[in-house]
Amino acid sequence: MSSEGLVLATAVGLFAIGSVGALLHRHPVAMLMSIEVMLNAANLLIVLGARVRGLADAESAALIVLVLAAAEAVIGLGLALALFRRKLVPDIDEAAEVRG
Amino acid sequence: MMGLLAWAWVFTLPGLVLTALGVPRDRRYAGYASLAGPVVLLVVAVVALLGGGSSSVAFENWLPFLPDGAYRALADELSALMLAILGFVAAVVYVYSLGYMADDPGKRRFFVYLDLFVASMALLVLAGNLAVLLIGWTGVGISSFLLISFWRDRPGTLSAGLQALAANAVGDGALLLAASIVPTGCGPLVTLSTQQCAAGPGGAELLALLLFIAAAAKSAQGPLYFWLPNAMAGPTPISALIHAATMVAAGVYVLVRTHALLELAPQVSLAIAIIGTATAIAASLASVFQANFKKGIAYSTIAQLGYMFAGVGVGAPFTGLFHLFTHASFKALLFLAAGIVIHGAGGRESLAELRGLGRFFAFSLWGFLIGSLALIGTPLVTAGSFSKDAIIDAALANQPVIGWILLLGVTMTGLYIGRLFGIVYLAPAADQHAVHHDPSAERPMNWSIVPLMLGSIVLGYLGNWLRTVLSGPLGPMEPLPPVPNLTGGLAFTLGALGFVVAVWYVRRPEYAAAPGETSYRADAWVRAIADAGYAASASLSRIQSGVLTRYVFGSVVAVAAILLIRVSLR
Repeated sequence: MSSEGLVLATAVGLFAIGSVGALLHRHPVAMLMSIEVMLNAANLLIVLGARVRGLADAESAALIVLVLAAAEAVIGLGLALALFRRKLVPDIDEAAEVRG
Repeated sequence: MMGLLAWAWVFTLPGLVLTALGVPRDRRYAGYASLAGPVVLLVVAVVALLGGGSSSVAFENWLPFLPDGAYRALADELSALMLAILGFVAAVVYVYSLGYMADDPGKRRFFVYLDLFVASMALLVLAGNLAVLLIGWTGVGISSFLLISFWRDRPGTLSAGLQALAANAVGDGALLLAASIVPTGCGPLVTLSTQQCAAGPGGAELLALLLFIAAAAKSAQGPLYFWLPNAMAGPTPISALIHAATMVAAGVYVLVRTHALLELAPQVSLAIAIIGTATAIAASLASVFQANFKKGIAYSTIAQLGYMFAGVGVGAPFTGLFHLFTHASFKALLFLAAGIVIHGAGGRESLAELRGLGRFFAFSLWGFLIGSLALIGTPLVTAGSFSKDAIIDAALANQPVIGWILLLGVTMTGLYIGRLFGIVYLAPAADQHAVHHDPSAERPMNWSIVPLMLGSIVLGYLGNWLRTVLSGPLGPMEPLPPVPNLTGGLAFTLGALGFVVAVWYVRRPEYAAAPGETSYRADAWVRAIADAGYAASASLSRIQSGVLTRYVFGSVVAVAAILLIRVSLR
């Protein structure tokens, strides 16, 4: 397997792990971590693409994604903390109050 | 004269300032300072129309954030015709309002708003590019709102005005989008059909579609019809000027002005024809079930605008414009004649209360009769026949199905206008004591509708002359059918049949016993549609459960589905 193929397979694997984690976990912090994993998989793909095509400015997009992920983690953790304070149960489904 | 006409939107501004400053001081003469504006507008427009030629004004780079942000005004034969219609109806309505609003404490404010409306409408008509058109477009929307909500303390007027604003906002948005996507150097409104304009994103289709949405909002077509019947909360002269003759016709005007662009987008043209026809039929049907006199006429306006849209849509823009021209006269006549009865009955508008009261107002009776005959299209003696038959003829030639629907729809026209005429003017009076004659207020109202009566009779004969005059700005136009002709005769027969049946039906004593009996049957249809909407949203809102894991699952499935579709379509 070529090195590109290896990186590609890693990215796909990471994304699958992340999405399954986001689907199965009910703890908000665990869900956030899964989303981070998915973001990193996407980032890996961006860097790989930039490498293969030889585009330097595409690699800078990966940096933007990193910043975005950090911001998202800050807001997400804040939300998770607020939720825990109000409900005292670290379960995202118990917190549902909307009645459609 | 065209050079002067290019500044026509300034004509009513001196009157606006004087009236707003309280000139003349005597309250009985409030509004007299505004009277000159529309008359000057009418005279200049007619002289310019007879003289021909064109004139334009341009200030470059006036709104630098738009692709074509110059101030461009264009006065040609088409704008002159529209301004002549505006000046004619506005002059009549100003004089009429002196009587109608005589005892109103807000008379000065009323005339100030009227002046503002005429100025914005003139700017709309003179617009040489989309940016200026947008300013006029919004201006008439705002003055329309101010005048619909004129009686601020009456319940329902504010919400009616806000509905008009909301519907117009849809059109304004579409127009703003159109103004933003036309490429630089695309040229003025008349040449929106150039290669360069069609090169914008979405091509000619998107541009034509945006203009159509804007026109539909202004002219109350299709789903955007809802504001016009409610706009009847405003004073009757407003209904005649803004919501029958001029502003609601602005949509038709814009489509006629840019008809070359529509020819590049045949699908949009077809959509215009279909929506116009559907609106014409649905609005005629709705009019038959109205319990309010003015709303009955308002639905008739929507239906007639539908006929104009259909004319433009089947590729005969001149017939649409011609119908706009004659319709302005006879629909304003119908409204103003109705207003005389409403004023005499102390502001009552419901058909049950007005039953039989029309017979005490001779001018109103004859005005409404002439207006009704013109609406049905009585051959030779009324203007409506010339233009409406031209639309039906063009539709039969280009889109036969639409043509036949429009032709049969004239039966409905006869039914609804015959019903209104029968109830208000021919039925035995329900309550004679409700009538109060006030000669000093009635005199200006009575005499001001006489020009409209004459217009409703003779204006149709100008058709072929207009066609020659307008061949400059519009290019060669389709010929008008000879009058009388077979289609016209057939349409009139159907309409007259409907008229007679309706008059017979509403004059029966049993109808008077339960005048509101049929009033809400149309509402049942509307309610059924609303109920269907509620049921759909109730079942769909169950998806919004608040359970985050379900949301995540839904997103993952959706993304997977999109990817699968993309891959399989490759």
